[in-house]
Amino acid sequence: MKKKKIAPKILWVLSVLTLIFLWAPVVLIIVYSFSNNKYGSSWEGFTTKWYVKLFTNDQVRDALMRSLIIAGVTVVVSTIIGTITAYGLYKLNFRGKQFLRTSILLPIVFPSVVTGSALLVFFTRFMHIPLGYPSIIIAHIVFCSPLAVFIILGRMQRFDWSWEEAALDLGATPFRTFIRVTGPQLLPAIMASAMLIFPWSFDDFVITYFVAGVGSTTLPIYVFSQLRFGATPVINTIGTLFVTITMLGLVLVHFIQKSGKSGT
Amino acid sequence: MQTSDDILASQAQARKREKRRLALDITAYLSPIILIVVVFVFAPLAIILFFALLKSGPYGVIVYELTFENIMAVFGGGYGKVFMKSVYLAFQTNFLCILFGYPIAYYVARFGGRFKVLWIFLIIVPSWSSYLIRLYALKTLVGTKGTINTLLLNLGLISEPIQILYTNFAVTMALVFAWLPFMILPIYAALDGLDRSVLEAAADLGANPFRRFFRVTLPLTRGGLLAGSILVFIPTVGEWLVPHIFGGSKIMMAGSLVAHKFTAVGNIPQGSSLAMMLAATLVLILYLIIKWGGREALERSL
Repeated sequence: MKKKKIAPKILWVLSVLTLIFLWAPVVLIIVYSFSNNKYGSSWEGFTTKWYVKLFTNDQVRDALMRSLIIAGVTVVVSTIIGTITAYGLYKLNFRGKQFLRTSILLPIVFPSVVTGSALLVFFTRFMHIPLGYPSIIIAHIVFCSPLAVFIILGRMQRFDWSWEEAALDLGATPFRTFIRVTGPQLLPAIMASAMLIFPWSFDDFVITYFVAGVGSTTLPIYVFSQLRFGATPVINTIGTLFVTITMLGLVLVHFIQKSGKSGT
Repeated sequence: MQTSDDILASQAQARKREKRRLALDITAYLSPIILIVVVFVFAPLAIILFFALLKSGPYGVIVYELTFENIMAVFGGGYGKVFMKSVYLAFQTNFLCILFGYPIAYYVARFGGRFKVLWIFLIIVPSWSSYLIRLYALKTLVGTKGTINTLLLNLGLISEPIQILYTNFAVTMALVFAWLPFMILPIYAALDGLDRSVLEAAADLGANPFRRFFRVTLPLTRGGLLAGSILVFIPTVGEWLVPHIFGGSKIMMAGSLVAHKFTAVGNIPQGSSLAMMLAATLVLILYLIIKWGGREALERSL
């Protein structure tokens, strides 16, 4: 009998160690963000002055605003494109569909440096799109909408389509059916994909760094530019905010999906 | 007969109408994504392929003259080695992620009980938090003036800081740290969906726990392992930030070469040929994955 009980315990210890490995650095910067130490790398008593400094730092505020605007536009556009594309891919059968699906996967599976450099050369040497907001937002839509497509497509495969058939049988036009029946039912999936895309766009560093040009510092680019100075208290506070926002977002997604499940 | 001809004709007409309808639907639903894929994925790739074939003059000037010298240079000694190293590091990372990821996935799936959601939450949060911030956090921990060194120095266990940064160990650790959650989740999903009765049957038939695991559980969770490996292996090959932050100038990966040529040197033809090489490597790997594990594995991993 004793043998049966020891395996879960060993597994528990290994699991806790894994979690510590994943969380220790993150917890550390959260702790240090409240530390009085001016290098942000050891504990010297509690303070919130770095947060005050964070919100009065013009560079950080500009970068934050820029990141929020970019992520906001990206989420809206990518989610709309993702929804109609997923619907089309789910409903329609045609030659070349597999090829299209694989092509949509490309921006997700290609290394960011390849996507970033290809877009940079394309924007500067061919399209002459100004680097800054236009180039960053286009780049973000390019790698975020495929993600939206596959998140929503995944949900559609577990979806009850009989309501839509009923609406069509009863004479509703396809457009009306989508607006009144299918759309509202898909709303939890659409919301979830929007919530998941937001951090993708907001956090992206590599592709943004390539196509941002000079003077369009997003928050991750600001963090990167500060990295060479080692730890700084302000980056610790930014990190803390990032992790907190992610947690809140995931809790929100969890509840959206729960309500979506109980609603249908 | 006239009637059958009529039927045939109307059938043909119906088919035609259906075809037109389908074309219309495809345009309506899929034109935005087709536009994105063609204009912002295929065209840029074609352009860098073109630039990869150009000659690079001094000071980042592009000489419009077709040549294979940049493409050939990729295969030459230094660059080729870096590519091999990237693939090797990706394999290593993948293996370590399975090694560390499987136990926790197994524990949560089997013994998580009412804390399951909390465990999953704690695994997912790092995978969705800012990648850059997490790497920065790890650097804070292991740097020369980092927490570990400070702690050990204060305890008197070491007399001078241990050099962790800019070693192979640091790069490997950071890669595992960054990608481990992406391995745990698919394995967990596969284990969670496992039909327990199969294991009971194996036990009833006299298989010991060891055999049950290797002959039943592991093969049945192959899909999860494959999905996790796709999520870990592919991004690791093209990694830039990890070698940049943890390897410095000492340890380079394929992604760092591309980034270096574009952002530091500004040599577009060379950078393009390296990027093409990286893309080609990835396409080859993806092809092998699809051939071996099926397309579903690739899409399921999302």
